[in-house]
Amino acid sequence: MIYGGRDPGIIVQGATGKQGVFHIGLMNAYAREVGGQGVVAGVTPGRGGQEVHGVPVYDSMREAMENHDASVSVIFVPAAAACDSVMEAAHAGCDLVVAITEHIPVHDTMKAVEYARLHGASVIGPNSPGLLSPGEVKLGIMPAHLFSPGSVGVVSRSGTLTYEVVDELSRAGIGQSTVVGIGGDPVIGQTFVDVLARFEDDPQTKAVVLIGEVGGNLEEEGVSFTDLPVVAYIAGVSAPPEKRMGHAGAIIEGGEGDARSKIRRLRELGVPVASRPSEIPELIKEML
Amino acid sequence: MKFLEYEAKKVFGEYGIPVPKSALIRSPDEVSACLDGFDSAVVLKAQVDVGGRGKAGGIVMAEKSDAVKAAEDLFSREIRGVPVSEVLVEERLAIAHEYYLSITIDRSGKHPVILFAEAGGVDIESAAEERPEAVRKALVSPLLNEVPQFLIRDLIRGAPVEIGGVINRLYHVFCDRDALLAEINPLVITPAGVYAADAKLIIDDNALRRQGISVNRDLTDREREAEKHGFSYVELDGDIGVIGNGAGLTMSTLDLIDYHGGSAANFLDVGGGAGRERVMHAVRLVAGMPSVKVIIVNLLGGITLCDEVAQGIIDAGVPQQVIVRLAGTNEEAGRRILAGRDYLMVASMEEAVRAGVEAVQ
Repeated sequence: MIYGGRDPGIIVQGATGKQGVFHIGLMNAYAREVGGQGVVAGVTPGRGGQEVHGVPVYDSMREAMENHDASVSVIFVPAAAACDSVMEAAHAGCDLVVAITEHIPVHDTMKAVEYARLHGASVIGPNSPGLLSPGEVKLGIMPAHLFSPGSVGVVSRSGTLTYEVVDELSRAGIGQSTVVGIGGDPVIGQTFVDVLARFEDDPQTKAVVLIGEVGGNLEEEGVSFTDLPVVAYIAGVSAPPEKRMGHAGAIIEGGEGDARSKIRRLRELGVPVASRPSEIPELIKEML
Repeated sequence: MKFLEYEAKKVFGEYGIPVPKSALIRSPDEVSACLDGFDSAVVLKAQVDVGGRGKAGGIVMAEKSDAVKAAEDLFSREIRGVPVSEVLVEERLAIAHEYYLSITIDRSGKHPVILFAEAGGVDIESAAEERPEAVRKALVSPLLNEVPQFLIRDLIRGAPVEIGGVINRLYHVFCDRDALLAEINPLVITPAGVYAADAKLIIDDNALRRQGISVNRDLTDREREAEKHGFSYVELDGDIGVIGNGAGLTMSTLDLIDYHGGSAANFLDVGGGAGRERVMHAVRLVAGMPSVKVIIVNLLGGITLCDEVAQGIIDAGVPQQVIVRLAGTNEEAGRRILAGRDYLMVASMEEAVRAGVEAVQ
């Protein structure tokens, strides 16, 4: 686990919704399997006093934090209120906030991520599948049965594509240290730079698989800041060119957000780039 | 969703940004009636959503005397393949200088960023590439409602101070309207003051509802149909239909088709937790495009119930062959449901794609 201890107390915001209920069940099943605390409390305004799978629900993060020893929040709150929940978690003193919610307006995300930063909280997501350290902790919605413990870190902008790559790694006998889905939105809290820095400080992680997508230049930025061996895969080589956003996008990103130029720049930085997911295990074996 | 120039100018005008005097016409017959409002020379601007509109002949200068003929000519034209159905008639400005001003989102900075350049106009991108220092940038904290004065002073430096006011008003547009981009290029200086000679405004699709926009015009009919079901859907030129869950996996499937020498006709991302009915709609939608000869379904995830998906594929009952890669809960049950029928069930994404590419060759 690259964010804090290996067994943090977890609070789920949006605990009584369909997604919240379902995933509290799965997260706690995983916690029982690995001997962790799992989800210790839930929060849904107006539903204080209820229970979900035996987990007590509170009206606010403040109450939940007062009654439980927790440092992490996982958010399943619908898009319109999700950023309020991120800020509430940061304000209540959470160190790590994992935002699963998708379709959040980007102006809300910018505010929430900045507010959390000023309160010393790290935000993963939004539009993230969460994070999983095999054998230690699962925060979010990743399908745990595909994972196996080991020394390869995975950081990705995708959800299901991450599972595909983890599955390839596990089948090839390559275990993972921590797998982080940083989220597919234009603005996210933890970026490749932040996660790679965590991997670098993590004694368990010996190499990293980076899974990127078209758009932006955060993949290159991340790679240029790390000394760890990295193997990359970039989805979207065959994708139609992104709809142009006036001149500003091109000026900001140097006009090079497409997959091919991203791959070229990663290779220039000395990073092997797989042409398809099935090539990743071989490339990573050469690194270990 | 992109606003057309006249829509963006209307919004900018509401926020106190000076825009040229103008009239919108929908046929050449409407020109004469609107000309009374203008002094002498006018500009006719096709309201089409294409890049390089000016270079493609979408902007025409005219005197009042020949404006009708110019309008007839413009309405009969296509601008980069897009027919002209609306034209903005504007007063011609006496331009002394052109600046560039825009506000967008800096992904790595995670803040709104204001861009300002002394030399605006059509060549701003190449200018920015050749001399990056010519474009001044300032990040604004998203927790502030106003652009701080020191940032504005730093941005405009030698330029006329009234541009500072325009920057703040454009920032209000950007925040209030949930914009991904608010751009004025060129921002012009005339003897009568500063004007937004052109205007671009793009609204965040995730904020359309709270912005009171019910129909996203940027989508085709089939894309809108897909959106109703919560799918994202894109049409391409090939002959293989693709259904995946998650943008990354779907894109990766497309890349793999490309790698094996095939090409996709369309792709559809069903999103999370696809059940029987959603899968049926997805398969029918993808199969509904005439160029689709074979369909690859590539679904992966812990919460996807494979028996439900298999049932949905059968319910869809499409004529094309369907190749299915399913990984998730109840995989075996799903396999049994599809067994003995005309479906090909495979174990990996590679196999699915190879089979799909072979099927169309």
